[in-house]
Amino acid sequence: MKLGLLFKDELLGFYKSKVMIFLWIGLPVIALLFRFVSGVSSGQEISFTMISAILVSSIGGTLAAVMLSVSIINENNRRVYDLFLIRPLKRRDIVLAKFLAVYLCVAIAGFLAVLVGTLVDFATTGTLSSIVLSDAGQSLATTLSMIAVSCAAGTLIGVASPSVVVGAILVIFGNNQISVIPLIPTLLELPQPEALTIVISAAMAMGLLAGAVVLFNRKQF
Amino acid sequence: MNQNDCFVTINNVTKKFGAFKALDDISFSIQQGEIFGYIGPNGAGKTTTMKILVGLISNFQGEITIGSLRLPKDKDEIHKLLGYLPQSVAFQDWRTIDHALTTFGKLSGLNETQVKDRIPKVLELIGLADVRHKKVSHLSGGMMQKVGLAQALLHEPKLLVLDEPLGGLDPLSRHQFKGIVEKLAKEGATILFSSHILSDVQDVADRIGIISHGRIKQVGTIDDLKTRLVRQKTVEVMLSGASDNWQKLSAVQNVSEVTQPQPGILLLNLKSGADEDQAINDVVAKVVELGIRIRGVWMLEPSLDQIYFNYVSEAEN
Repeated sequence: MKLGLLFKDELLGFYKSKVMIFLWIGLPVIALLFRFVSGVSSGQEISFTMISAILVSSIGGTLAAVMLSVSIINENNRRVYDLFLIRPLKRRDIVLAKFLAVYLCVAIAGFLAVLVGTLVDFATTGTLSSIVLSDAGQSLATTLSMIAVSCAAGTLIGVASPSVVVGAILVIFGNNQISVIPLIPTLLELPQPEALTIVISAAMAMGLLAGAVVLFNRKQF
Repeated sequence: MNQNDCFVTINNVTKKFGAFKALDDISFSIQQGEIFGYIGPNGAGKTTTMKILVGLISNFQGEITIGSLRLPKDKDEIHKLLGYLPQSVAFQDWRTIDHALTTFGKLSGLNETQVKDRIPKVLELIGLADVRHKKVSHLSGGMMQKVGLAQALLHEPKLLVLDEPLGGLDPLSRHQFKGIVEKLAKEGATILFSSHILSDVQDVADRIGIISHGRIKQVGTIDDLKTRLVRQKTVEVMLSGASDNWQKLSAVQNVSEVTQPQPGILLLNLKSGADEDQAINDVVAKVVELGIRIRGVWMLEPSLDQIYFNYVSEAEN
C-alpha cells in the first residue's frame, strides 16, 4: 500500500515537473527527426521501427538512468528522505517507487516511439508486413528490456554516489556499457535472442535493484 | 525521577563516525508529557542523538527505549509514535503544502478521512491555513519550518523530536510555536527539542540537558542546575541614589562581604550555610536603618546563559 502511494506520488511529480510530457512527446519526435535527417527508407534491410527502438532504448535508457540517479542524489543531499524514513514504511519502497515510476514513464515513451516507427513504416510501405510487425514486437521487447537495465543501473548509481557529478560520470560511462549486455545474444546470433535478452535484462535489473535496496537500507542518514 | 515514569530512556549510547566519537556514553531519560530542552554548542552531538532516536542512524552502541519499545529492533512500531522536525526541512519542489501533508499523513498511517480532517486543523494551528495550496518551493525559510512542524504534528504523535525548531522563525512565530509545544505537552505528548536560543528553552522546557563534545554535562530542571552551579550565595541591592555608607551593610549578620561593582549596585556575599530569606530581611532592615534609598533587593541567580557557558566552557577546558 505504501509502495502504491509512493509510486503514484512519483508519477505525479514527473507529471507536474513536465518530465513525463517531454519524454512522451520528445522521444517519438526525436525518432521521427532521425528518420527524416538520416533518410532511412522502406527499402533498407532494417525497418524504421527497429531504428526507432534502438534510438529510444539508447537515448531513453540514458535519460532514465540520469533522471533516476540525479533525482536520488539531489533528494538525498537535500535531506528530502529524512521525513520519509522516520515513518513506518520500508526503505525499499522508496527505491522501488522511484524505479517503477521512471521505468513506466520511459517505457511508455519507448512504446510510443516504436508505435510511431511502425506507423511510419506502414505509411511508407502501404502495408504492415509480418516482418514489420515482428520487428515492432522484437523492438519493443528489446527497448523495454534495455530501459529496465538502465533504470536499475541509474537507481543503484543514485543510491551509491555521493554527488551529482560522480553520478553523472558513472551513468555516462557505466550505463551504456551495462545496457549493451542484454543485446549479446543478438550480436552472437544465438537462437531466440529476444527471449534471452528479456531473461538477461530481467536478471540484471533485479540484481542491480537488489544492490540499490541493500545499499539504501544500510545508509545512515 | 522514577524510572518507571520515563517514556524515553537513552542508556550509555555511543556513536562513532570513523575515529570520531560523536556521542560518548550518553544517558538521560524523558518523562511522559515532559518538554526536554537539549542544548549544546555546534557539533556537540545534539542532532546525532536525535537522528538515532528517530531511527535515521541505526548503528550505535547502547540502549534506547521509547515506551516499551526498543531501538533499533522495534523501529517500525516506534515510527508510528513519532513526529520529527529535522534541522533543515526539505520537500520535493513540485509538492504543494497540501500534497506534502497528505502524503506524509498517509505514510504515518492516517486514512483519507483522517488526513482531510487533520490537515486544516494543523494548518490553522500553525497559521498556514491560507497558503495550503502553495508550492513548497515558493515558501520562505520560516514558512518551510512551519510546514515541517505541521508534518510532525499531523498524526498526533506521542513523541515529538524537534531539531532546532525555532531557527528562521520570527518573534511572533516563535511565541506561537512555544504555545503549541506547551499545549501538546499538556495533552500528553513527550517533547525533545534542541535550540541555540537559550531564552526559548528556558521559557518552555521542564528540564534541560546540556551536551558538549558528545558527553552529557548536566541534566535537570533549570532550578536544579542553578543550585548545582551556585557555590556563593549573593544578594543584589539596587540603589535609587548614591550612598556613602553602603560599606556598613557588611555588619549584617550572615553577610561576609559587600562590594559595589558599579554605581547603584551592591553585591552582598552571604556566609556559607546562611538562610537566604533571613539574610534578605536583615539586609532590608539594615538598609532602612542606614537611610539608604533602594529600588530592589533580591538573591542573585545565574541565568541559563551563565549555566550553559559554565558547563560548556568547563568541557572545553
